[in-house]
Amino acid sequence: MTYNRLESFSIVLLVPKWIHRVQSKKQESTFYVTPDHPYEILLFFRCHINTRFDVSIDICGVNCPSQEQRLRVLYQLPTTQYNSCIRIKIGVNEITIVSSVISISPSAGRWEREVWDTSGVHFSNYLGLCRILTDYGFEGHPLRKDFPLSGYVEVRYNDLEKCVVYELIEMAQEFCYFDLASPWQA
Amino acid sequence: MFLRRFAGPLLGKVKESTGLVGLEVVPNAREVLIKLYKETLESVEDIPTYAEYRKAVEKFTRFRLKVCEEEQEWEKIEQRINGGQVEELIVMAKDELMLMDKMKEWKPWEVPEDHKIEIIQDDTPIPAHVPRHRSLFTLDPFVPPPKEEVERENERLRKRAEEKTKIGAQ
Repeated sequence: MTYNRLESFSIVLLVPKWIHRVQSKKQESTFYVTPDHPYEILLFFRCHINTRFDVSIDICGVNCPSQEQRLRVLYQLPTTQYNSCIRIKIGVNEITIVSSVISISPSAGRWEREVWDTSGVHFSNYLGLCRILTDYGFEGHPLRKDFPLSGYVEVRYNDLEKCVVYELIEMAQEFCYFDLASPWQA
Repeated sequence: MFLRRFAGPLLGKVKESTGLVGLEVVPNAREVLIKLYKETLESVEDIPTYAEYRKAVEKFTRFRLKVCEEEQEWEKIEQRINGGQVEELIVMAKDELMLMDKMKEWKPWEVPEDHKIEIIQDDTPIPAHVPRHRSLFTLDPFVPPPKEEVERENERLRKRAEEKTKIGAQ
């Protein structure tokens, strides 16, 4: 029994209070959910017999600066029972706290830490929420659109002090000659 | 009389293992399933009849209960229900019961009046970076059930809750 888009509309009717948009492309549906209820909707999707979306493969954070809700948390859930996949999106801003789903699927622990580290979405009810991919003492959230590609700080080994030193970034422009008169001639 | 009771599990095929790690074979799966489904149907009474959730739960629980009562062997039950092994069905039924308790607390069928649900259907093959948004139709505002029905259901639920407290107090 494959789960197709006709059924995605019937799912909306089961939990209408929490969903405010459904997008279905080919055979994958995306549900846009109100930001207060990720825990409830994930538990519903996991336990309800028609929608046994019990695995949590990915939780990632997306930064869309043009939208009102700047940050989005995206949950990807496949089902082993019905062999399909859905996506759940939540739109939050930088200060909103989202409830953690770690009690439903423990693998979410690692994903939520990554979302906190890269995009800055804070999760409640999570005891060990700390950085996982960036350096110790790193400030800022790298996957946000206002964070520059090269970052703010660079690291180098200082011979005098015999240790690794953090300094503000310095980009040497030795081999760049910006002659904007004509791009084709040397 | 006793022959039928004791020969039942001997006549049917014995399942050696489910093939899944962590799921043990339940020899009296049929009875366990029937009990769970009856519990589910009873527990669903606490949800108002206009809720889609209740209709969905009743629909599949009744079908599965009917199949379990008609068939005696676990193999035939599995084939007819077509939802995996009997042990998995037991797990699903237990999960549904647990979920129902929580749904009674959260009540997702009580929708505020100006709640809009947008539905977008997109089948054409477009590259992913091109922004497209074709809204077919919006279910706006969400059509709530008629007020008499809501009041009637609230009355019935209140009486049910009172009866439960009385039985608990006795």
